Amino acid sequence: MRSRDPHMGAALTALWRQELRCLFAGKALWVMLLLLSPLVGYSFIQSLSLYGEASRTALQFPELARGMTPLDGILVPTFGSLYLATTLLFPFVAIRLISEEKQSGALKLALQLPFRPATLVAAKLLALGVAWLLAMIPALSALAIWRLLGGHLHGVETANLLLGHFLYALLIAGIAMLAATLTEGGATAAIVTLAATIGSWVLDFAATGRIGWLRQVAALSLTAGLRTFERGIFALPTVLGMLVGAATLFAMTAVVLPLGRPLRHKLASSAGVLVAGAAIGLLAAKPMVYADTTEDRRNSFAAADEAALRTLTQPLAITINMDPGDPRVVDLDREILSKLRRLVPDLSIAFGEVDKAGQFGAAGDDRYGLIVYGYAGRHDESRSTSPEEVLPLIYGLAGVKVGASADAAYPGYPLVAEGQTAAVWFYGGLPTLFGLSWWLIRRRPFRPDRNQGGV
Amino acid sequence: MEPGTVLASVEGLSKRFGENRALADVSFEVRAGEILGLIGPNGSGKTTLMECLAGLLPCDGGSLRWRGTALPPERRKRVMFYLPDGIAPYGDLAVAQVLAFFAGVHGRPHSSVDEAVGALELQPALGKPVGALSKGYRRRLLLALALLAPQPLLALDEPFDGFDLRQVQGVMALLRRLRDGGRTFLLAIHQLTDAMRICDRFVLLDGGKLVGAGTLDELRRQAGLGSGGLEEAFLALT
Repeated sequence: MRSRDPHMGAALTALWRQELRCLFAGKALWVMLLLLSPLVGYSFIQSLSLYGEASRTALQFPELARGMTPLDGILVPTFGSLYLATTLLFPFVAIRLISEEKQSGALKLALQLPFRPATLVAAKLLALGVAWLLAMIPALSALAIWRLLGGHLHGVETANLLLGHFLYALLIAGIAMLAATLTEGGATAAIVTLAATIGSWVLDFAATGRIGWLRQVAALSLTAGLRTFERGIFALPTVLGMLVGAATLFAMTAVVLPLGRPLRHKLASSAGVLVAGAAIGLLAAKPMVYADTTEDRRNSFAAADEAALRTLTQPLAITINMDPGDPRVVDLDREILSKLRRLVPDLSIAFGEVDKAGQFGAAGDDRYGLIVYGYAGRHDESRSTSPEEVLPLIYGLAGVKVGASADAAYPGYPLVAEGQTAAVWFYGGLPTLFGLSWWLIRRRPFRPDRNQGGV
Repeated sequence: MEPGTVLASVEGLSKRFGENRALADVSFEVRAGEILGLIGPNGSGKTTLMECLAGLLPCDGGSLRWRGTALPPERRKRVMFYLPDGIAPYGDLAVAQVLAFFAGVHGRPHSSVDEAVGALELQPALGKPVGALSKGYRRRLLLALALLAPQPLLALDEPFDGFDLRQVQGVMALLRRLRDGGRTFLLAIHQLTDAMRICDRFVLLDGGKLVGAGTLDELRRQAGLGSGGLEEAFLALT
């Protein structure tokens, strides 16, 4: 009904402008930006220094140069500080947009405006989008400096990393806005949000080297979602899962926001949103669409191997006779299992029951370290975690012949560069620009648009 | 709508906060083009009643009928705007920005903003942040926001709080002008002298219960008084 109102477009614009004004008028955004500049700068300069040291040797040995990837050496560490800021600082910007209105009484006025609660939440989310774009300036300027210094950037893997950080920020915004809506004050909302984000860290850490339900739950943690992108993998189930998770949080915020809705209605509606979100989330996990966005194709086997593995129509069973925390299992997972999961349609991985080796002694079970592969009733075993040994073993079980691969070798991009210019920018220039913008916005006289009902 | 006809009917409104009964089966009518005073001491349930009517507080029972049709809480903002007491919204923004926002949302031309600014003498404060305003100017700004709202019924909680005598007279004159122009007001007032000067009819609340409703003459009759003001009628009825 309301969407037919010819005035609604102008009203929505006024609402969004107001949210932006509230965002820029508050201190939280500017404090975040002022802290973010040196934080990102320090990470970038440290990365540049370490990358340069490693590059000095690599420039003399082409074999070593192949290991010099800007994704691992520069991008992920630099964006790591953005991750820290998104986890610890960005929630305060999001919380303020709701808590401030609740505490000042502005929410009572806003809820009487001709907008649905979902529209109010969407306007705040759009304003937060602008805040996030501003928060990207330090990290993006680090990439620009890297390019100016002669560094290499691979467009697709960089875009994939940016997508991961965007989705992560979206989830954090969802948690923060819901917490601000559920709690009475901003401080409590901050505690709830940090409990969720830091709890997610702890969960991720606790699940390292574990199997069973803890590992499965940890796979849903915020950090695990972002890590997929940091590894250079575009995983559609992860993208959809994070989008559905954020949408569920925003929908719950819109359900809880109206002050006049009885608690039982809020609970029932929230439960409905949660169930719908979980159902859509399960559907979103179905499409097995993955892409290795890295230039060095680290998450992929050679093209010929991938083609051969996709032809495995029967179940491939792998039993690992090792403790899940064993470093060899980590190697195996990185080098083989994670790639097989994305290629083999019917893959099962299990851990066998074997005695774990003592801290300094030998394994109590001779079978410890063996990995058993089963396909079409045939079995073979190996202790190797290298694809060069394991893949031929699987092909042997499946009776598959693999052609020669013609993949181009990754050259690597070593670079020795100095970070003094970057230090001037991140520790001086950028904070000054942010500070100046803050000062100008606060003292700028308001110039109303006479066509928009201004004064 | 013809002045004097029933615009809204409040029927059996009840609200509890835990063991405390804030409103007990309150029923009354609001007529088109009148200034209806919601009268009672502090804690009598005036604010609770207004927030329940505005759909900003869930009530335990009762309903609101608008021109004879039941109006659920989520749709009440279409016909009623409630201005709470004691709020200090948008503290970081300039007065002009807040007015422009409300005017933009309601599709009001800038002339109506100028009118509200002029009527409430807000010009000296337009460039100041709301958080830096005195209580009186903040109340004027909030009243201006209420006047920009297009809803036919305006519910104002303690609209004269924070104003000096001269300012109260000015605001009263403004409300009367708007009433004469067809607007309907529901004012929660605890100062009986102010209420007597501005309101056409009264709803008396005490301890969350309705103790009387009507014009001053009707209240006198209900209280069995031959003469006296609102104060005497209220005391006689409670």
